[in-house]
Amino acid sequence: MQLNKSTTPLRLGLMAASCALLGAPVARSQVAPDGEQPLLIDTGLLYYKEDQGRVQTIEPIVNLKKNYGDDHVLGVTLTFDSLTGGSPNGAIPSRKAQTFATPSGTSLQPVSGVPQTYTTPSGQVVALLAKVTLYSVNPGQLPLDPNFHDRRIAADASWSQPMGLDTHASISGHLSNELDFNSAAVNGALSRDFNGKNTTVSGGFNLELDRINPIGGAPVGGTDYIQLLKGGNKSKNLVGGLFGVTQVMSRRWVSQVNYTYDTSKGYLTDPYKIISVVDTTGASTGYRFENRPNTRTRQSVYVGNKVYLGGEVLDLSYRRGSDNWGIKSNTVDGRLRIDLGNDVYIEPHARWYRQAAADFYHLYLNQADALPTYMSADQRLAEFRATTFGLKLGIGFDGNNELSLRIEEYQQKAAQTSSSLANLQGLNLNPGLKSAIVQIGWRYEY
Amino acid sequence: MRDSSAKLAVESRDGGIVAVCFLAMASPCEVLIETGDVERCRALGMLAAKEAWRIEAKFSRYRDDSVVSSINRSCGSPVEVDDETASLIEFSAQCHKLSNGRFDITSGVLRRCWKFDGSDRLPSPAEVEALRALVGFEKIRWEPPFISVPSKMELDFGGIGKEYAVDRVLAELVAQFPAAILVNFGGDLATNRAPASGPWRVGVERPGSEREAAMLLELSQGALATSGDTHRFLLRDGVRYSHILDVRTGWPVPGAPSSVTVAGGSCVEAGILATFAMLRGADAESFLDEQGVRYWCMRS
Repeated sequence: MQLNKSTTPLRLGLMAASCALLGAPVARSQVAPDGEQPLLIDTGLLYYKEDQGRVQTIEPIVNLKKNYGDDHVLGVTLTFDSLTGGSPNGAIPSRKAQTFATPSGTSLQPVSGVPQTYTTPSGQVVALLAKVTLYSVNPGQLPLDPNFHDRRIAADASWSQPMGLDTHASISGHLSNELDFNSAAVNGALSRDFNGKNTTVSGGFNLELDRINPIGGAPVGGTDYIQLLKGGNKSKNLVGGLFGVTQVMSRRWVSQVNYTYDTSKGYLTDPYKIISVVDTTGASTGYRFENRPNTRTRQSVYVGNKVYLGGEVLDLSYRRGSDNWGIKSNTVDGRLRIDLGNDVYIEPHARWYRQAAADFYHLYLNQADALPTYMSADQRLAEFRATTFGLKLGIGFDGNNELSLRIEEYQQKAAQTSSSLANLQGLNLNPGLKSAIVQIGWRYEY
Repeated sequence: MRDSSAKLAVESRDGGIVAVCFLAMASPCEVLIETGDVERCRALGMLAAKEAWRIEAKFSRYRDDSVVSSINRSCGSPVEVDDETASLIEFSAQCHKLSNGRFDITSGVLRRCWKFDGSDRLPSPAEVEALRALVGFEKIRWEPPFISVPSKMELDFGGIGKEYAVDRVLAELVAQFPAAILVNFGGDLATNRAPASGPWRVGVERPGSEREAAMLLELSQGALATSGDTHRFLLRDGVRYSHILDVRTGWPVPGAPSSVTVAGGSCVEAGILATFAMLRGADAESFLDEQGVRYWCMRS
């Protein structure tokens, strides 16, 4: 029972009398939009793991939401991420063992008294800085940097409120910090209702500024890996806009269409990724640091639907994305929430994703070919298909409180995984990815 | 015995809600449940209707076989009452105390001289005085479980019966089927929680503006009760006499609003606060402000 210092003796007496009459605790009344709502606390712990010794993450997250009444809502989210494991460095497997330097390697200046050398695939011997750590990869294995680790802290805050009768505005800010990356973003949106709240038109903008401080410095893009030519810190920014229409189609069906557009400028390359160079037989002759354009423009169209089918709620959406790097994508996502009674529900989830490769994506480079201006072997820019299947279980209790468990499994398969070159025959050059997520959530009204 | 099956209407509403409608306590009643199972809804609706009819039958002063009628016929002899009746009497006793005597379930006899039919026929002071002698909860002997009501005095649960029924029905339905449920008996309503599609949208009629668009509230938990009825009044020499009687004088409370709607944790609590506010007449709003509850007052 919510008591504040202004609860009169008469009100207390009435509450007690009603309690006695009805034999049950007297709940608070919640009438919106005037009334103030209790604080809603949403917490979760997520565990993410990729197969084959790749990345794993533990992520605790806390979200607080407070409605001060009249739809004035403040939201605060705090996220902490800890990532460990191995991450592909972009090179392809080889018939021979391969050796790489970790990102902290910065120069070839030998340090007297501490001899350390690195032999390139073509037999050249190069002296290295003592602090460079090397790692080796067995023949046939996908090269992963096993020293990959990162930790991320992020904070988000948002405020939304009505502006007049049919208009709603919101503004939010975001700050995040990683070992090698800092980001600040601000987002604003305005929406307006028409047709007795059956139609809502919304528009928003998004601004993001990032500072990238790669460990060891940002490599000069496209240069020979063994030279370990590294520069300093980098930055990039993003400006974007969104326009959307939400429409109540029938008593049981709400639909939404969104168009988004954004432009990024600055350092868009992954400083830790390289691309293998092979000769005509497929044997490795060396590597290059990847190099991506310094601008990227993306557009997407999203159509979402929420349908009430008796006791179940279906969420079905389609998104089509494209950008000026040549990546086109299609996503179909479906969720079905099924009420099992007694405040318990399950929600199966399925997602299908397909993407075409970036124009400058290459699984590897041929030494004989002219060096392209832009190149990347990052499998996230390749042509691939991915599917996700998941199940969420939610148990509600005491009003708005809920305990939930979510399990999801993700599989990604690349289109190009092999080569006809002699020394690469029989090798799976892009084994794809399998990962699983387990997340426990607890939502509590305070 | 009513032919129950004929009296229920089931219809589906927006956002995955099914409604069961019936008549009880001289009001249109509806039970809204968030579910796709129409048969389940019909069964729950029948449960709700039966409970509403049961309470109506038990506490109605119009029925010879009701508990209230047997108490009112007892001529001063002690009557043993069951737990439910005892709770209601106890609750009424508390309300009598908390309202400093303004709320009184023995005030029903005053309706014999006050007929609020919109006419200008006021009773004479002598008539009012005669009946006022028969009013006063302090004259009742309440020694649970025995109640002794002196001759010619009467108990009337009309002021709390409907709200009590709303709360009881909601509790019973939620115990059977914990979905989001809203119980609405003629404007006195309560809900356990909001459906997934958002808070319940409740229209509160503004008497006097006839069928004009009601005030729309969004309710996610708790109850609303409305006191007042613009059709029950008397008008003479330009003075409007509302049907809310001050038991200490036997006359209508001056300056009472035409209707008060209050939000509370339970329908019973909301209803009593609305009634208390009406009994304060011109001070209705300041009384409710003091109590720190959400309310909407209409004055014509």
